[in-house]
Amino acid sequence: MRKRWIVSILAALCLPFLAACSPKDPPPPAKKPSVEKLLIGLIPEQNLFKQMERYEPLAEYLFRKTGAKVSLKILPRYGNIIENFRSSGLDGAFFGSFTYALARAKVGVEVLARPVALDNTSTYHGLIFVRKDRGIRTARDMKGKRFAFVDKATTAGYLLPLDYFRDHGIPDHNDYLKEAYFTGTHEDAVFDVLNGKADIGAAKNTVFQRLANADPRIMKELIVLERSPDVPENAIALRKDIDVSLRNRLKESLLTMHLDPDGKRVLERFGALRFIETTDEDYAVVVKFAEHNRLNLATYDYKND
Amino acid sequence: MKRRIVLGLALYSVVFSLAGVYVIHTIRTATTELDKLITLHQVEILREHFLLQIRKVQSDLTLMGTPHSRSFDTVFENVMNMGRIIDTCFGCHHSPRGTERLNALKKQTETYKESLSRVMTVRANATRHAAEEDAAFRIGEALIGQVNEMIAFTTSRLGENTRKAMGRIERTKYILYGLVAMGPLVSTVLGFVFILGLTRPVKVLVDSTRKLMGGDLDHRVAGLTDEFGEVAASFNEMAGSLKEQMQKMQRTEQMVVVGELAAGLAHEIKNPMAGIKVAMSVLSGEAYILAEDKAVLQKVVEEITQLEGLMKNFLNFAKPQKPRLEPVNVNQMLNTTLTFHLKHQAVGAGGSGKIEIVKEFGELPTILADPTQLQRVFLNLFLNALHAMPRGGELGVRTCLEADGKTIRIGVSDTGNGIREDLIDKVFQPFFTTKPKGTGLGLAISRQMIEQHDGAIDVANRPGGGALFTILLPVKAEGAAA
Repeated sequence: MRKRWIVSILAALCLPFLAACSPKDPPPPAKKPSVEKLLIGLIPEQNLFKQMERYEPLAEYLFRKTGAKVSLKILPRYGNIIENFRSSGLDGAFFGSFTYALARAKVGVEVLARPVALDNTSTYHGLIFVRKDRGIRTARDMKGKRFAFVDKATTAGYLLPLDYFRDHGIPDHNDYLKEAYFTGTHEDAVFDVLNGKADIGAAKNTVFQRLANADPRIMKELIVLERSPDVPENAIALRKDIDVSLRNRLKESLLTMHLDPDGKRVLERFGALRFIETTDEDYAVVVKFAEHNRLNLATYDYKND
Repeated sequence: MKRRIVLGLALYSVVFSLAGVYVIHTIRTATTELDKLITLHQVEILREHFLLQIRKVQSDLTLMGTPHSRSFDTVFENVMNMGRIIDTCFGCHHSPRGTERLNALKKQTETYKESLSRVMTVRANATRHAAEEDAAFRIGEALIGQVNEMIAFTTSRLGENTRKAMGRIERTKYILYGLVAMGPLVSTVLGFVFILGLTRPVKVLVDSTRKLMGGDLDHRVAGLTDEFGEVAASFNEMAGSLKEQMQKMQRTEQMVVVGELAAGLAHEIKNPMAGIKVAMSVLSGEAYILAEDKAVLQKVVEEITQLEGLMKNFLNFAKPQKPRLEPVNVNQMLNTTLTFHLKHQAVGAGGSGKIEIVKEFGELPTILADPTQLQRVFLNLFLNALHAMPRGGELGVRTCLEADGKTIRIGVSDTGNGIREDLIDKVFQPFFTTKPKGTGLGLAISRQMIEQHDGAIDVANRPGGGALFTILLPVKAEGAAA
């Protein structure tokens, strides 16, 4: 019996070598398919480096799930995202609400999904705020003051103040203000007002709230004067000519990642509960807001001076 | 010996295992020291790398807005790399103080990154832009200063640590040299000890065997222990047995001589003696023989009768009768023999002194024995005892059943002078006697008879004076069983 066992084990061990010696050649290995790639742009919603660090785990997760190598490209300006679709070959991007509205009109992109924040909201709104101690409470008080916008291609950081001034009979804020400049990020707009580098600022409420949670001075020393309508949170959109299968896989991965333990961990780091499906209809409020301000999205000059 | 070998091998294994473990530990310690040194130098390189990266970012910052400025992507990647380097530092273990310094460095780096981010994103007038750039540059310079300070501090520590580590590695090297040199030496010593432990007892046994072969049957092996002790005990037992067998052979040879002599006497002396005896008896019955001559003739007849007895003894000894076994009550037989002896033999054997007989009979089972032979043995011992006490004394007769229940013990003691120690081994030899008229056959025949009953007889001097003969008889002799 023991002998039989030994023979069986030896036979099992020799089997791979015997197979290798077979006169019949094994079929050649299948050619490795080229890896699908996606270059996704990121807008400078916050500190450029933090923004990149926030999205990197999500890109890796999408690579694991879709098999497509997802590379990220951070952009120093909101408006650059539209330029980069033309010059740098972006396949898609996480758009702000206004930049998506612009990109759809200028480039032709299709929105897929957007995150639901930890407070279970998937929208944000813009805020105009000042330091309490500066005595600014109305548009009249803003005359001759310094205004920290975010970018000309943002709803919260530009469209809202534009709307505010227009509603208060101020057609050209550049003449009305002492200085108007663009911080580039919502974060810096808040900090500039807080630190006295600017007198008035505009930014999105989600960033304002996150900074306020970390720095109590914000709620104590700043006061909000105006808010915009709710608009969709930054959403991912792809070029329309992207492979349908890849687009569907990407969308499916995003919409189901809250059901996957790995995805859940990534969502926690990202600061969201889940991704939800997003369509052009969700941006009707932005378009309406732009039209209210008499902006032609197809011809709008989004470049900051 | 087996235990000693096992213990020795275990000790050997333990010593070498410990040495092996120590060597491994030493090598491990040395490699760990080297690892630490390498890590420290890597950390040093990392710091230098970090410093270079900061300088590169500072350079990028300085060149911003000039015709030589690098692309946004390059600058961004340089800043990200700078952040990655500082994050790498957190992957290593640090002392609390080191961690504190590292945290401060990380915080400063983050501040620098935030400031750089502002520079890269802000779109404002030239003054504001320049202010942002200047602020970022100042933070970068402060960071460079902080890193330089850390490098200066750690460089001095690194030199010291390197010296210490190299010293420890040097010591480790000497310890390894020592172990390499000591290993074979210890092996040799331990091997020598084990071999000596095995060969010495073998040599003692070989020497003893040679002495035995040389005829020294009294030589015994002493001083060996363990398994060799057991071999020595067996050897000694064998030597004792050999001596006994030799003595038996000698006795047998003597018996053969006596037998041949007795047979010769029987044929050559017995018949003429019988003729003489008859002639003397007839002659003494003649009427013309004077009464005084008759007495002489009668004396001659008595002497001849005594000579016939002697001849009979010779014949009995040389050609002993096979015992005819029957149930015998030994205590009763001893009583009868003592009574018979007191009435008919004591006068001839003893002197003028008073003999006190002490009997201590234990309860004995009936044994199978030849009553005639047994009685003769007892009588012989009693007569010897009486001869040993010419001025009177105590004749002790004691019996008991041995603890095993298979042997009875009979002791016959006297209170005479005992037997000289140099003669005590010879008392059972044929023709050995200390009595002027003894034949030297009484005790020899007695032992012969007892041994025919599968028993044994021995003699020893009593501590208080006198001799003690001890007879051991089986309750059921093997001869009887057959």
